[in-house]
Parts: sequence; structure tokens; C-alpha cells
Amino acid sequence: MSTNRTLILARRVVQQMMADRRTLALIVVVPVILLSFLGILIRAEPGKLVVGIVNDDQGVTLVGRAVNLGDRLAEVLGGFEEFEAEVMTASEADRRLQDGSADAVIMVGPDFTTQVTQTRHLALRVTFEGSNPMISDRLRTIFERVALQAANNFVLVASSPTASDLPELTATIDARYIHSGPEYDTLDYMAPALIGFLVFFFVFLLTCVSFLRERLAGTLERLQATPIRAHEIILGYMGGFLLFGLIQGAITLLFTVFVLDIHYAGNLLNIFVVEVLLVAVSVNLGIFLSTFAQNEFQVLQFVPLVVVSQGLLGGVIWQIEDMPRWLQPLSKLMPLTYANQALRDVMIKGESLLDVAGPLGAILLFAALVIMLSSRTAGRATI
Amino acid sequence: MTGYAVEVHEVHKRFGTVHALDGLTLKARRGEIYGLLGPNGAGKSTLIRTIVGLLAPDSGSVTVLGHAMPDKNILARVGYMTQASALYDELTVFQNVAFFAGLMGCRDRDAIDAAIAFVDLTQRRDSRVATLSGGMRQRVSLASVMAHQPDVILLDEPTVGVDPQLRVQFWAHFRAMTERGITLIVSSHVMDEAERCDRLGFVRGGQLIAEGTAAALRKQAGCDTVEEAFLVFAEQRGVSNNEH
Repeated sequence: MSTNRTLILARRVVQQMMADRRTLALIVVVPVILLSFLGILIRAEPGKLVVGIVNDDQGVTLVGRAVNLGDRLAEVLGGFEEFEAEVMTASEADRRLQDGSADAVIMVGPDFTTQVTQTRHLALRVTFEGSNPMISDRLRTIFERVALQAANNFVLVASSPTASDLPELTATIDARYIHSGPEYDTLDYMAPALIGFLVFFFVFLLTCVSFLRERLAGTLERLQATPIRAHEIILGYMGGFLLFGLIQGAITLLFTVFVLDIHYAGNLLNIFVVEVLLVAVSVNLGIFLSTFAQNEFQVLQFVPLVVVSQGLLGGVIWQIEDMPRWLQPLSKLMPLTYANQALRDVMIKGESLLDVAGPLGAILLFAALVIMLSSRTAGRATI
Repeated sequence: MTGYAVEVHEVHKRFGTVHALDGLTLKARRGEIYGLLGPNGAGKSTLIRTIVGLLAPDSGSVTVLGHAMPDKNILARVGYMTQASALYDELTVFQNVAFFAGLMGCRDRDAIDAAIAFVDLTQRRDSRVATLSGGMRQRVSLASVMAHQPDVILLDEPTVGVDPQLRVQFWAHFRAMTERGITLIVSSHVMDEAERCDRLGFVRGGQLIAEGTAAALRKQAGCDTVEEAFLVFAEQRGVSNNEH
């Protein structure tokens, strides 16, 4: 082995890297940006959950004392830091569960105390909003503690000389879900976002590299010397990559549904509509950003900047509401945020396309913006 | 309609401080091979790209087949072969030629096969371009600019990197095209190719310093070779040397 030859080769690699200022800058800047995001996200205090309590309990009189277990339950709930407990009416609770501004509601009926007294069993009736199974699980665990605490509290309050003779109080959760259900787990929550993320990632990468090659090989110049218009080039690229984006989307979707056994409530075709829009964004973003790359190596460096940052801030893993307030506007500037929202609403909540018109409109706006930018790229003779 | 397929009038084009085209005027007749001769950096490629509409002149005008350029519609009647054989490596010879012909509005498989046969690549019709030699790639490139049977073909240094034998074949192809009434504008910095053109334009410093047949230019300059004639005209005009 020749050390000299090895050193000569190593020196050439260093010289090449030093000549590629953009790559150097990205090597330094990108990890710092991504680590900053990660640090902030991991250390961020999760947003406060909202738990409503509809307390219609009439209470009972035990050994000459008025006992209202519903009130005691509300007191116990107020002592938890993990969520904000709000007393609300039944109609308000319904509305808040539907619009997602309450994560769960505990319903306490008029004969709650009576039933507990008679049956020595505390059945906590909880309705979970359910669109995030991780939150539902978290709350369910807390509520089990709540139920036990309330039961103990009741024993203390209602203690009488004969109380010790009575059987011990038991507690259970009687859960209902607006969306999803107890069978949903973390993967059910992550899968819709991952489907969107993977399609976005691969289509972006393929388009960016393809268009870069088109430019470097001179075929773009030849295309521009034909009657084809810039918008036809864009549509042609979109059509071509849409096919593969959808094939990939279908494989990912079918695999997650039938192999990973993911639950879904919505129409699978609606998921494809979201994917079509997402592909339109990623194709055009790829075409536009290819302008700023001189080689495939530089394209790869867009991945952490464009794709991973959206994975971190677009709500794939961390909920946007749990992020620091100042970071949330950045999430709103990312198309994947809206795709994730739409895909989750369709898959977990079973919503229709009309229901997710908001996020779909946002993706469309992004698509229009990047189509405008990429048309300029495709139409420019010398890039 | 004039008898000229391409007319360039007083065209100026600057890139920053570089005056790539400096008031250049030329006219190429229908059915002729017009050779643009000059050293690298003389402005030949800029001129061809301006003619085809890829670059907009700062001033002056370009007309192709009677249409002021840039005009996307007339491009269906034009063929443009870039200096590098700009092809899709993953596609076959046929797929490449069919793709460019299709963009020009030609879907006739016979015409595509005829173009491939014209450049002697029928045997390699279904080979991927990535597997071809440099010379073969140039031939595919040529087939892809002629399958749609254009009236004007612009060839930017088509024989660069082509071996002498193939170069002879190329010129035979070019001549055969003019017999079909096609106008060819061919740029080259190889002076010995000049004799094969019907007329020549000497380009230097973004200017047309002389124009005529090879024989006329030699005679006018009082030289035996086109190369010597070029140097005489360049000296007479005292054109600044941006070339390399």
C-alpha cells in the first residue's frame, strides 16, 4: 500500500470539497438547523390537553351529610397538571368534541352518586375526541387514576361506622370515541403522515435529479428548441411522476392497511386525491430547486433541508400544537403540514374531501406557487 | 416570402461585459449549407441559439422561414442539434428519435425509422443510447433533429469529437439533406470542413467578418487555404480577440 497515493487521493477529495462552497456550507449549516429543531421539539412542553366535565350529579344524603361525587370528581380533575379541566354543559361538550377543542369529556349523570353508593362501583363515562390515539391513551391512563382517587375520596367522605363492613369500591372507564377507537395505536396515528411523507420525499428526489440531468445533459435546451411550452413541460413531468407517485402511494397504503394492519375510517380514494395534490407540489418543488444544484450530490443535500425539516415540523411525529408558539408559523409554511392534516382527517376521522377542503386548499395554493416557480425554471433557456 | 430561410439583421447580444454578438448580419438561402466558421468563443453558438430562439437578442432581428424569432410555432419546422449529443441515455435509439420527433408533431413511425436508417443505425434501433459509442450518439442526435423533416436544421459543431471517417459520412448526410431542400447552418472551428459548405460566414468577436463561397473568399484574400483567408480577414477587420 502506498501512503503517498492515498494522501494524494485524500487531498484531491479535500480540494474538490473546498471548491464546492455550497456543499461546505450545507455540511455545516444543515446539521445545526436540524439539531436545533430536534432539541426544541424534544424539550418542548407538550401543549395542555383540555378535559371537559359535564356534571349533572344530584348527589345523595348519607348519614345526614350531603354527598356529591360529581363535585368531588371535578375537584380531583382540577388537581392534574397534565390537562386543563373545564366544567361545561352537555351541548358545549358535544360541540367542543366535534371541533376538536376538547380532547375528552367526562359525563357525570344525575344519579352518579346514587349508583356508586348502591353498586359500590364507579364507572367513569368518558368520551374521547380520538383523532390522536396517543392522546386518548395518555388521558385514559390518567382517568384510571382519577377514578381511583375519586373512589377513595368517596370512601373518606361517605365513611360511616358501618362503611368498613361494605365491599371495597371499584372503578372502571366506560369509554366512547368520536373518532378512531381503543383499538387504534401510535402507528395508526403515524401511518397517514408517513404515507404522505414517503410520497413527497421520493417524488421530490426523483424530479429534482431528473430535471437536473435534463439541464446538465443539454436535453432541456433541446426541449426548449421545440414547440413545447414551459407549462407543457411541467404538466408532462407531473403526469409522468404522478403515475409513479400514485403507484408508490398505493403500495405504501396497501402495505400499511393490510400488512401493518392499520385502521382507517375514510374512503381510500380520498387519500389518493390528497396524494395527487402532494405529488403536484413535490414535482414542481423538485423542478424549481434543481435550478440551485450543479450536481446530484447537491440535490441530496436538499433532502435534510427540504424534506427532513418538514418531517420534523410538519406534524409527522410531533403535534404542531405541542411545538413552541414561535415555531408554529414555520410549520404553517410547509405543504406537508396540510397534507398530514388532510390524510389524518380522512384516515382516522373518516372525513370527506369536502370536510378537508381547508388543508386541500392550502396544498393547492402551495402547488400553484411552486408551479409558477417551476414554470420559470422550465421556460428559461439558460439556467 | 424571401428566398432566404434564415435572416439575421444587426443582432447584438451581451453577456455582462462580453459582447457575444456585435451587430451581426447574415442570410442563409433555402437549400444551402451555410457554414459558420470561427474559433471557439467567436459567437457561433450564441448566434445559433439566437436563431433558434433560445436567446433573445438585445437588439436587431432574426427571421426564420419568414417568421420573426423567437416564435415557438415555427420551431416545428426547425431542427437544432446541440454541441453535445443531448439524448436520454436510458431510452433506446428509436425512443429518443421518436420523442423529439413527437414534440415536433411527427408520429410517423416510418419517418422515424427512415431517419435512423439515414444515419445507418437501423441495426442499433433498439439499443439503449447509453451503450453506444460517441460517434453513434452523434448520429442518433442527427437523426432526432431530422425525423420530423424540418426545413431548416441548425447544427452546432456537429463533428466535434467525431473520427475522420464518420465526419465524411456526416457531410454526406448533410449534402443529402440539402438535396431534399433542407437549409443547413453548420458551425465549425475546423477550417478544412469549409470546402464542404455552399457558402461560408467567418465569425470573429461576435461579428461576421467575411461571407461567400470558399473559393471566392480564398480568392478575395489572395490565399490558398480557407484558414489563411480567415486570418487575413480577421487582421483586416482588426476584431478584438475574446476567443480562446
